[in-house]
Amino acid sequence: MEGSASVPRLLLMARIFGILFFLLWGAVGYFLSASEAFGREAAFAWVAGGAFGFVLQRSRFCFFCNLRDFLEHRIAAGALALLLAFAVGLVGYHVVTGAWIVDPSAGHLPPKAHISPVGWNLLAGGFLFGLGMAVSGSCISAHLYRLGEGAVVCVFALLGLIPGFVLGFLAWNPIYLAWVSGRRAVWLPAHGGFALALVAQLLVLGLAAFLVWKSSRPGEPAESSSPRSLRDLGRAVFVNRWPAWVGGLAVGLISVAMILRLEPLGVTSEFFRLSRHLGDAFGLLPERLEGLDVIRGCSQRQAEGFLSRGVLFVLALVLLSLAAALISGDFSPRWPRAGELVGALGGGVLLGVGAMWSFGCTVGTLLSGIHASALSGWVFLPALLGGLLVGLPIRRKLVP
Amino acid sequence: MKKILIPLLGLAAIVNVQGETSSQKSPLVSTEWVAEKASDPKVRIIEVSVEPGVYEQGHIPGAVNVRWHTDLVDNPRRDIISKEQFEALASRLGITPDTTVVLYGDNNNWFAAWGAWVFKLYGHDDVRLVDGGRKKWELEKRPFETTTPAVKPSKYVVTNERKDLRARLPEVVSIAEGRENAALLDIRSPDEYSGKVIAPPGVQELAVRAGHVPGAVNVPWKTAVNDADGTFKNPEELKKIYAEKGVDGSKPVVVYCRIGERSAHTWFVLNELLGYNARQYDGSWTEYGNAVGVPIDNPSGTVWTGK
Repeated sequence: MEGSASVPRLLLMARIFGILFFLLWGAVGYFLSASEAFGREAAFAWVAGGAFGFVLQRSRFCFFCNLRDFLEHRIAAGALALLLAFAVGLVGYHVVTGAWIVDPSAGHLPPKAHISPVGWNLLAGGFLFGLGMAVSGSCISAHLYRLGEGAVVCVFALLGLIPGFVLGFLAWNPIYLAWVSGRRAVWLPAHGGFALALVAQLLVLGLAAFLVWKSSRPGEPAESSSPRSLRDLGRAVFVNRWPAWVGGLAVGLISVAMILRLEPLGVTSEFFRLSRHLGDAFGLLPERLEGLDVIRGCSQRQAEGFLSRGVLFVLALVLLSLAAALISGDFSPRWPRAGELVGALGGGVLLGVGAMWSFGCTVGTLLSGIHASALSGWVFLPALLGGLLVGLPIRRKLVP
Repeated sequence: MKKILIPLLGLAAIVNVQGETSSQKSPLVSTEWVAEKASDPKVRIIEVSVEPGVYEQGHIPGAVNVRWHTDLVDNPRRDIISKEQFEALASRLGITPDTTVVLYGDNNNWFAAWGAWVFKLYGHDDVRLVDGGRKKWELEKRPFETTTPAVKPSKYVVTNERKDLRARLPEVVSIAEGRENAALLDIRSPDEYSGKVIAPPGVQELAVRAGHVPGAVNVPWKTAVNDADGTFKNPEELKKIYAEKGVDGSKPVVVYCRIGERSAHTWFVLNELLGYNARQYDGSWTEYGNAVGVPIDNPSGTVWTGK
């Protein structure tokens, strides 16, 4: 008797906490917008971070899992959701930057957009990042939302990032001189105009979607029944896993809201800052990291106090992923096995090096890059896939 | 009813006349004035902000964007834009010689003032700043817009270059050595002035020596603004602030800072608001502090000597 009643009671408790965290999120948002020290930009970072965490958790929007599902099991839904996220953001960015930039050929890049120089570092960084994703079990944004689901292993992956970034910094100056210095940041609309850039990129995404769909296994028949009652609707939003494409759509829209109001979507800027700070504090880093502060990407943001917008974004991401997981019943703290632990730490280091060399992760460089029609985002993608393919067998050995 | 209405109308007329005359003569315009004049074809509102991206994410309706670090400077030459480049810029912005050019920006109009100096330097007469700039506009909760207006280009020709508004290194050295009678005003922070630091925190040290030009007095640029809303202090207060350091308009004054941009703010105060004969030395400390064979005053003794 007791045993059967204790599970729902636990879930009930979890849901109460989940709702409390939701309320806390709203309250902090209000506090930030009213506070003179923070203001509406900080409030927006907090709210957007929460929305991003909620969407990631509800739809399990994870670059690694979605790609692995396709590569290993020929399940198309996740990969198609990624392509949809690219397409939605690409169109939205065109709407926004089209309002900002009168003539794209005039030589001005849309401010803040993650358009970085195109050099070999992007291929090397993308490859290491893909490898790190496979070995550690997720990319950085997914480690953050899975933290909210109680996955202890993600703590180790995120800890591994720091030495990874420091290693990346140590090799940075020669990389900059050999591969980055003098390379141009290529913004596709500057070569042929907005319309051509949009159509060409959408065609590439459409072709990729077609190929993915063509080579996928016939999946489960989709549940198409729309919720009949309020209870069903609540379950659809807060309990059941969202269809992958809903996640892709929402991620694309959040990215557009971010460039319009704040800065490109990204989660690694604070890891850049923290690792650079720690590396400096221990005297590990060269006195100057050549050129790094003027290259666009997550690497660029400058220090702005302890509770910077980047910190607020990441904290809200984890908080709302936790709230969503508590309410849905996805919250299940689990201690990792030895293989997972090794993979998380080692993979975390690889993720750190890769993100450092490519000025961001799958969110800041890939997603925000492709959204911005940056050639750098497109160059990062195949390298990432290459790393992933090499890493998958390693993952299978580590976590059978 | 009539009894109340007539004095009210009279009052309105006075306010209106004052508004008109002050907007015609003062180098400053209010946020209300800008809000009203946004679509006036004789007025061109220009944002020049320090931080890239703030214009795009929301600006005063009708304003166009000028990027100080690409549109107003010739980076490889380390110079302001040439006459031809300025003509191209003004033409692109649809400005004619009788356009009222109204500038504003973030950081209490730092770089908007620098833009005003460049416009004045190339002889454009009617140049104003929005008092309080972005800060005041935002504090008053006025609306921003995000679209960039399309402007019909003009054909602008510079006819009257005002080289007398700019000071070059030889002139500054001759003032420092007492061969020319003019005041020197250093608007950097007290620690940069005294030579305790070469550059403000977080900024790369680009000079090999610290300190200031001999004879220069120190009034940090921010002293001229009201912290609450970013507006300039009133002329009487401003006169007093600079007079206390011996800059009272009785002789020409040269202002400088580190890279020559912040000092444009003080140049605007002295030249435009107070009517003093002020020149801006845009080479500033990064030129002077590195120049060979020129004297400096360095109370802190910080000079680069190698290891």
